[in-house]
Amino acid sequence: MTIDLNTLFQNYFTNHKNYDEVLKSNMDINPEWANLLSNLIEIGPKELVSRQTEIDWLMDENGVTYNVYNDPKGLHRAWDLSIVPFLIHEKEWQQTIEKGLKQRAELLNLILKDIYGKRELIKNGIVPHEVLFAHRGFLRQCDQINYNTTKNLLVHATDLARGPDGRMWVVNDRTQAPSGLGYALENRFAITKAAPGLFNGIHVKQSSDFFQDYNQMLIDAAPKGIDNPNIVIITPGPHNETYFEHAYMSSFLGYPLVKGNDLVVRNGRVWMKSLKELKPIHVILRRVDDIYMDPLELREDSYLGVAGILDVIRQQNVTIVNPIGSGVLENSGLIPFMNAISKYFLNEELILPQIGSWWCGQEKERNHVLKNIQKYVVKRIDRSNRESIYFCEFLNEDEINKLKDEILANPYRFVAQEKIKFSTAPDFINGKLEPRKIMCRTFAVAKKDSYSIMPGGLVRVAAERENLRVSNQRGGVSKDFWIISDEPQNHFNNYSWDSTFRNPVSDINDLPSHTAENLFWSGRYLGRALIISRLLRMCLNRMQSSQYHKSKAPSESLHIIFEAITSITHTFPGFVGEGKEKIFENALKELNSIILDDTKMGSLAQTLGSFTNSYYTLRNLWSKDMWRVFDGIKKLWDKHDKTKEYSVSSLLKLLDSTVTRLIAFMGLIEESILVDQGLLLYFIGMQTEQASLTIAKSRALIVANYDDDLEYEMLEALLSSHESLNIYRYSYRSYLSVENVIKLVLLNDKYSRSLTYQLNRILKDIGKLPIPKGAENNSECFNLINKATELISNAKIEDLLELDESEAIRIHLDAMLEELSDLLHKISLSISDTYFNHSYQQSQLVNQNFPLQ
Amino acid sequence: MVFQLSHTTSYKYGNGVTFCHNIATLKPRDFLGQTILSYELEISPKPTEISERVDFFGNTITRFSIQQYHKELKVIAKSKVLRDYTLAPDIHKSAIGMAITLEEAKKELKAITPEILEVKQFVLESILIAKISKNIRDYALVSFKPDRSIFEAASELMHRIFTDFEFNPNATNVATPICEVMEKKKGVCQDFAQIAIACIRSIGLPARYVSGYIETLPPPGKEKLIGTDASHAWFSLYIPKFGWVDFDPTNDQIPKNQHIIVAYGRDYYDVPPLKGVIYSSGENKMKVAVDIRPAVD
Repeated sequence: MTIDLNTLFQNYFTNHKNYDEVLKSNMDINPEWANLLSNLIEIGPKELVSRQTEIDWLMDENGVTYNVYNDPKGLHRAWDLSIVPFLIHEKEWQQTIEKGLKQRAELLNLILKDIYGKRELIKNGIVPHEVLFAHRGFLRQCDQINYNTTKNLLVHATDLARGPDGRMWVVNDRTQAPSGLGYALENRFAITKAAPGLFNGIHVKQSSDFFQDYNQMLIDAAPKGIDNPNIVIITPGPHNETYFEHAYMSSFLGYPLVKGNDLVVRNGRVWMKSLKELKPIHVILRRVDDIYMDPLELREDSYLGVAGILDVIRQQNVTIVNPIGSGVLENSGLIPFMNAISKYFLNEELILPQIGSWWCGQEKERNHVLKNIQKYVVKRIDRSNRESIYFCEFLNEDEINKLKDEILANPYRFVAQEKIKFSTAPDFINGKLEPRKIMCRTFAVAKKDSYSIMPGGLVRVAAERENLRVSNQRGGVSKDFWIISDEPQNHFNNYSWDSTFRNPVSDINDLPSHTAENLFWSGRYLGRALIISRLLRMCLNRMQSSQYHKSKAPSESLHIIFEAITSITHTFPGFVGEGKEKIFENALKELNSIILDDTKMGSLAQTLGSFTNSYYTLRNLWSKDMWRVFDGIKKLWDKHDKTKEYSVSSLLKLLDSTVTRLIAFMGLIEESILVDQGLLLYFIGMQTEQASLTIAKSRALIVANYDDDLEYEMLEALLSSHESLNIYRYSYRSYLSVENVIKLVLLNDKYSRSLTYQLNRILKDIGKLPIPKGAENNSECFNLINKATELISNAKIEDLLELDESEAIRIHLDAMLEELSDLLHKISLSISDTYFNHSYQQSQLVNQNFPLQ
Repeated sequence: MVFQLSHTTSYKYGNGVTFCHNIATLKPRDFLGQTILSYELEISPKPTEISERVDFFGNTITRFSIQQYHKELKVIAKSKVLRDYTLAPDIHKSAIGMAITLEEAKKELKAITPEILEVKQFVLESILIAKISKNIRDYALVSFKPDRSIFEAASELMHRIFTDFEFNPNATNVATPICEVMEKKKGVCQDFAQIAIACIRSIGLPARYVSGYIETLPPPGKEKLIGTDASHAWFSLYIPKFGWVDFDPTNDQIPKNQHIIVAYGRDYYDVPPLKGVIYSSGENKMKVAVDIRPAVD
């Protein structure tokens, strides 16, 4: 079959000599791709561009990100998905690839068992001992551990690429904590949504059975006698490159996402610190690498793991997926011996070919490599990051000699591999199709006495035409990976499966403490951002209406408001500290920095930044709508440059949009998260912050006694920053008076923005928190908030209005506000101490900062 | 010769500790020439959990956790050890062992026998003995020659370290890299052992780290003070066709009855006497006292 020279294929083969998945050089088409190509042609270049844009938008909107370490722009980089899927026909998939992957998973499983068990491979001379003993992933602490699972290797990912002979070759194995499943799911979701036309007439295999198997594997991994195991996913945290996926898998599988310090080892078991108590954990799906898992026995400076967990594993009271120590299988030194291993264990030939590799620990191989080094790619057996991969053809003589010396010093650490020209597949670039090298990541999970293979997986694409390397580091592009069948497929588009085996956090008592803590702080930061935005907006509005200009001194009322802003935001020295005269000369500059300078303590930008951090940590709880609104705030702020000085009206515009979006976001939080999932903590944080700021504003604006005109302005300032001017007018229909303002803003128990109402709300919510062990009747924080509500409900308006002897301030009002502020501070500390359990930090008994490799 | 031995480690914590996990490598090994007559580990406060197991290198390690608030941790290992080095094979009586040259030894190490496979891991780099620099290898090459007996070479290496290096407890700590020790030529027993091991591995022979104690004798006529001894460390070379031979470069001698062996490892990292993870917010102060003396009864 041939096709017309469609514009899509213009110049497809320019400078291009590789094997292509779709086209032969005479433009013959691989028949398996015919349907997809005609769907692409049908959609047409113009529409493809807009579909691609929609995919980009979807990825962005859904917050699919990939962090790149040591890259200033690296955090939360958008994940790129190409509109053109990659496909393999079921025939090839089932006949060779699937079989080959099962065989490989089984082999690696047997190697893993052997390395930490009898070591027959070494004893019988099948594998030289250095390949295992000199690999930094061989953890002697894991020697002779027995597991209760049928397989030692429970999850296995393989990178495959098609070699010049048309077969799929194994490029890499991932065995510690393979990533990619979440991205693969999200890719399918986005393609289905943005370009359903691509599927016309094509039967794509679905992965729901695979995920059933995945989940069953986790359940079956539980220690003996545990039928309904508590399963958690452990993550290094939001800075990890694939954190998006950790959070995604947590919500997809329905298991809590925890960090190392949420877990603790006691009495031979692993426990999760939850709000109420310690909850036993039976299975841990880990995204933390081997050596970070146990600071007691492995890397002592790790804060990502759980001290003492290895011993719990030895006692078979917890199962880690994959077992700690499986990193030794990520070992290019094994490649030359895999065929012999396969014969030894299975009496079979390897089904999937591997890249020709020479291990330098053997004399003959080493000499060959040293002689022909330019032809090879040299790697360390235990490093797969690009810094330790040498593409010798690009090295100069000095570099080659240096590498040779390194090889000679420790030859057993190096492997040389052939350069392979892998196949290309079409990618949609600048309105037409271009060939790009691709690599497929496949996934296997243990299932009874074999492995279950995901139909498809994740395909990654090289960024440049002639790029040798394919990786997500530096942000490559990915593709949806289709296994196509001649048979129609059932349960099409069924990605969220039967919810019966979800194991959600069912009760606030089970909430992991760090989730609780982040929710509390999300509430506080969000509350703070809103109140501070409104305060600044009030100030800017007054500047605008009084036609503020830096050439003339600010009015007396504006003067007081500026001072109030410094003290409420804690952006000292500002308008009150040393050098304030200079600051007053250009108040707008100071306000710009209070709003935009994220390095200034107490600034609005910093508050939003802190909120962003808690937000990312909690992203498994947030909905897609929330992500969209959040992203809107982020984009809005990204447009502003803190080194510039914006006018009053542009700042007002920024604050107006920020306030609207914050309110939308808060509304979404309240409808998206259950109280039992921790919304309670969010509310407590939010109300605590709002109450504290109500107090701070009142102290700054209405405690002092001013003459009538000035007092009027202060009351108006307070009410408008409190968004209460309309309510006041509605309630009192009168001239502003201190008495009525205090009644409305502080004492009213029905008005949701009043201090009394806020304190009562905190009291009610804290009352719902579990009572900590050891407390008699009520927690300390409950007693404190109770005291605060009593204090304000007993306050009498006549007392509060009373002036001191010099008639300068309202003395009782000030005293009450001070005491309440103090109580709120104590409440916040007490909540942290009681529920978040971070008063004690893990440290080493003897600080041994070894030069670890 | 029967010794009674006590090794006390105490930690004082500024802010107290709520919870800790620890591992102790303190129990002397039992082998031909060294018999453990008794051993006990006293820990205060009393551990909530305690268990013993044998590690990858055959050392007995004790793991314990304390789940009550405490401001001081005290670990005392007490043992009675019968030491008679004459029971173990003596290298001086092995003509083959004394004579084997570097070239011959390397050939022997190519065999795939269980014993050779077991010792060969001690040729490889380890955590503290990694990236062995050229000056270390050059230092080794002065003594080790292809056709020279490796026993002779190792004895000379021990002697050279003894004379070239200054014993100075203030010059290094457990984290000082070996290349720095090699440059400064100052350090303590642990540094000297690790330098020797690095030298031996750099020429392709197996060497391991030995941690233990050495009995020190008071000046003539004076009574020995309690707690004046310390943990000690030296190295061991594998001599094909014979076995492991210990060398003490700090004292320029081949260990006899005064050396008590606690653990073998690739370097110090494998066998620290006490390590752990504590949950606390403050500083801590450590004190160690070791006492070895002939048993009275």
